[in-house]
Amino acid sequence: METTVGSVLRRRIMFFIITAFVAASVMSLFYMQIIHGGQFAVKSDENSIKAVPQVAPRGIFYDRYMRVMVGNRPSFSIQIIPAEYKNRKLDSLIEGVLNLPFGYIGNILRDTTQYSKFIPRKVKRDVDFKAIAWFEENQSKLPGVHYVMETLRDYSFGINGVHMFGYIKEISQEMLAKHKNEYTIGDNIGNNGLEKEYEQLVKGDKGMKLMLVDSRQKTIGRYKEGKDDKPTKKGDDLVLSIDRDVQKVAEEAFKDRRGAAVAIEPSTGEIISFVSAPEYDLNEFATVVSREDWDRLNKDEAKPLFNRATMSIFSPGSTFKMIAAIAALEEGVITTDTKFNCPGVFTYGNKQFKCEHVHGVMNVETAIEKSCNVFFYNLILKLGLDKWSEYAAKFGFGQKTAVDIGEEAKGILPSEQYYNKVYGKNGWTKGFLVSLGIGQGELSVTPIQLAKYTALLANYGQSADPHFLKGYIDKETGKFVPAQIHKIQLNISKRTFDIVRNAMFNVVNGAGTATSIRMSEIAIAGKTGTAQNPHGRPHSLFIAFAPYDNPKIAVAVMVENAGYGATTAAPIARDMIKAYLDKNSIDSQPKTDNSLAKVSH
Amino acid sequence: MKINYKLQDKFDLLMFIPMMVLITFGLLAIYSSTIHHPTANGNFGKQFVFFAVSMVIYFVIYFLPQQTFRFFSIPTYLVSLFFLVAVLAVGKVIYGAKSWFGIGGFGFQPSELAKLGTILFLAFWLSFKPRDINNIKDIGLALLIGFIPVGLIMLEPDTGTSLIFVFITLALVYWSGISLFGLFVVLSPGVSIFASILGLPYFITVLVLIVVALFIFKRDLFNSATIFVINLSTGFFFDYAYKILKPHQQLRIASFLDPNADPLRSGYNVIQAKVAIGSGGLLGKGFMQGNQTQLRFIPEQWTDFIFCVIGEEFGFIGSVIIIISFLIIFYRLIKLASQSKDSYSSLVVIGILTLLFTHFAINIGMNVGLTPVIGLPLPFLSYGGSSLLIDVILMAIAMNFYRNRKQHT
Repeated sequence: METTVGSVLRRRIMFFIITAFVAASVMSLFYMQIIHGGQFAVKSDENSIKAVPQVAPRGIFYDRYMRVMVGNRPSFSIQIIPAEYKNRKLDSLIEGVLNLPFGYIGNILRDTTQYSKFIPRKVKRDVDFKAIAWFEENQSKLPGVHYVMETLRDYSFGINGVHMFGYIKEISQEMLAKHKNEYTIGDNIGNNGLEKEYEQLVKGDKGMKLMLVDSRQKTIGRYKEGKDDKPTKKGDDLVLSIDRDVQKVAEEAFKDRRGAAVAIEPSTGEIISFVSAPEYDLNEFATVVSREDWDRLNKDEAKPLFNRATMSIFSPGSTFKMIAAIAALEEGVITTDTKFNCPGVFTYGNKQFKCEHVHGVMNVETAIEKSCNVFFYNLILKLGLDKWSEYAAKFGFGQKTAVDIGEEAKGILPSEQYYNKVYGKNGWTKGFLVSLGIGQGELSVTPIQLAKYTALLANYGQSADPHFLKGYIDKETGKFVPAQIHKIQLNISKRTFDIVRNAMFNVVNGAGTATSIRMSEIAIAGKTGTAQNPHGRPHSLFIAFAPYDNPKIAVAVMVENAGYGATTAAPIARDMIKAYLDKNSIDSQPKTDNSLAKVSH
Repeated sequence: MKINYKLQDKFDLLMFIPMMVLITFGLLAIYSSTIHHPTANGNFGKQFVFFAVSMVIYFVIYFLPQQTFRFFSIPTYLVSLFFLVAVLAVGKVIYGAKSWFGIGGFGFQPSELAKLGTILFLAFWLSFKPRDINNIKDIGLALLIGFIPVGLIMLEPDTGTSLIFVFITLALVYWSGISLFGLFVVLSPGVSIFASILGLPYFITVLVLIVVALFIFKRDLFNSATIFVINLSTGFFFDYAYKILKPHQQLRIASFLDPNADPLRSGYNVIQAKVAIGSGGLLGKGFMQGNQTQLRFIPEQWTDFIFCVIGEEFGFIGSVIIIISFLIIFYRLIKLASQSKDSYSSLVVIGILTLLFTHFAINIGMNVGLTPVIGLPLPFLSYGGSSLLIDVILMAIAMNFYRNRKQHT
């Protein structure tokens, strides 16, 4: 008897066992895959469980009093799964039922060939119920065509706010390439405004439903009674600082006008209202926007897609006079006793600069009140470009305001470097300054910059970067999470602010340029402006804050081609202030964080 | 080709290349089956990290002195027994078995370490010179070494893995030259158990055959009676054991006998696996194009049913490449085991071979419907960090022995 380790016989037995098993498995694979492969292929095609992805509802947008501004509503979509959709003769039939242009389905399928053919392609959203009934009835004749319920944005709360809310849109192929793990084709993504800025918060988590289907792809029930399904999770709800009532008033005021208005709570930088006009109907964006609609919006000479509140730039006109005044007072260039005489015209070199009236002798307070140009021509020559530019920059001009929605223009704030760059070192003279003194010339600002500036004037240089988000309601915990804000504190004396603010009070309540909007119940302080503009009538400007003693709201209004600030812009500002403060006197305490959390459940 | 010859002399490319082929196919199949999965889409990344780590360890082990393994035989075995006991106390329960330690995001299965420990220590013990493998006492001790982990793993309970240890123990005892009678003593209880599953008539027949065999071997009455009683009691014990099995394990045995009896539950995976593999045909449906895989008809396909992904997406050709790669590794391991100059390394290599082959046979058998559904991973391919790591370590030990095969120790 052999007892050595690993004898030849034992090796051969082992060899035999291994070879025999391998041969058996290859044989049975051959039998399954080659001989019976066809049968299994048929079985595989008619297999019985289908994973249906579920899109989560997006977070709701609430206003500062927890009233809904943008909600969700259920709707049906039709989608096609290319792996199951074999009969292309059905294209035209489906296009007919869904009212789609001829060849639409072919285009979609062709444009998405690089994605797995098992992922559904969305053909149409927000399909009406009659069409859904037709699909339901004919399901067995339409393999690969399915309808799914999903939620669409609901904009039926009386305000539009397109330029702040933005809209959601089916994800583009470029975006998809960048975020492959988070999105698949047919998913929605925030495309603009707050929807885009806070996409990560509001989008929610996708789910997955497992369905049992028969060989004709007809659903016969849930797989494991839904035990293995993955539920969707609705996105975080956003609590915005907008006041829906003020927003409504502002939108109404701009119905037949072009321009923008921004209202800010001075102490916090919270945006109370934000309008850019003309707008477009957000409901069009709830479903698929056709190419024609896009072209119409793009080519419209009123530019409804253009966000004027953050993107349009214009000369601030007389609304900018407080910059020169503050700089001169702070730097000791003038005092309240410094006086200039206004004969109705100012001569510099061989050029003449006009004033609206013959104002006579003016000091800084009366010059703001009456908006005397001659005073400021003199003042800026005394002050110099450097100081003026430095103070304008302190108030945020020439820079983005860092507001929490996408695109924003910087505007132009001239400085010595700027002029040297544009005209060459000796190519410009002090005469260039004269226009800047009254906010004209090569100076341009955006409405939101003006609003931020007004807030800083109102609150003695203390505010924060303008922002929409007060916080969000976390979907996991249901708790309110406040947003981070960036505070601003200007190092300018209270005395200087007192002088300028008092002058602004007299603009409305003294013998100033905006006495037409004076109200007995609310003390408004403001400043009119008229922005010269090469394309027609000047823009009408007005900045204001109220109440004078304890400002709760700061507003900047710009109405394109509407002439004097006092005539068009000032009444709009007054109505917005009134809408905000009237309510605040009744319901003046903003709700606490606790009550926010309660409302969300 | 002198350089190549030298490399082949120190580093068996025929063992290395098929391993890399298998790991590559495994990663592809894991990618395909998980990348669009809502919860498992990070698995490919995790497996790739383990692959990278295991490659480093592979070459470290390859360059170790051969004596290292002999030296570490006892400690590895004892440490792994310690972990097997510890996991029963503090382990995490996954799929009804307490077999995991959770460390951070990764889990660690002590039974994987025990595979290494048992192979090294059993080989060490059996290669000790005065050992007589035909002495009943030595047979008993060898079985004891192998069956302590079997018992501990049964308690988790993880029947599939404990089966691996049974096979390793039997293979090493066999390789060390047990006599035909010895083999009869060791194997007959197993036959009795199998017969008792099939029913009482089969069990009685087997018992009669055992009596006849004992008569032929002409051993003394005491030994013969002992062996008969052992067989009788194991047969009855099984009936009891079947009752303590978890319901899902009982169902698995039943569904092996007739998969269509319970098509939506235990038999479900078998049917779906067959459909997936069968529908792959000769060339397969293409990478990431298998509808069974992509629509996830088989739950957790990237673990025990990874072969379906290959079968469906790479077809008969792909499946045969996998099987041939395994076959080459098996052949090289047998050859290495017979070339080794000392019985210790020969036995270790046979242990490694048995482990890989048993996993392979049970997993492929389950996927093509030849064996019952026993949850065992396919070496090198299935998703699972500790399993990949141990498989690569075992291959590295074999490669180390290959490098040193001409030296006497």
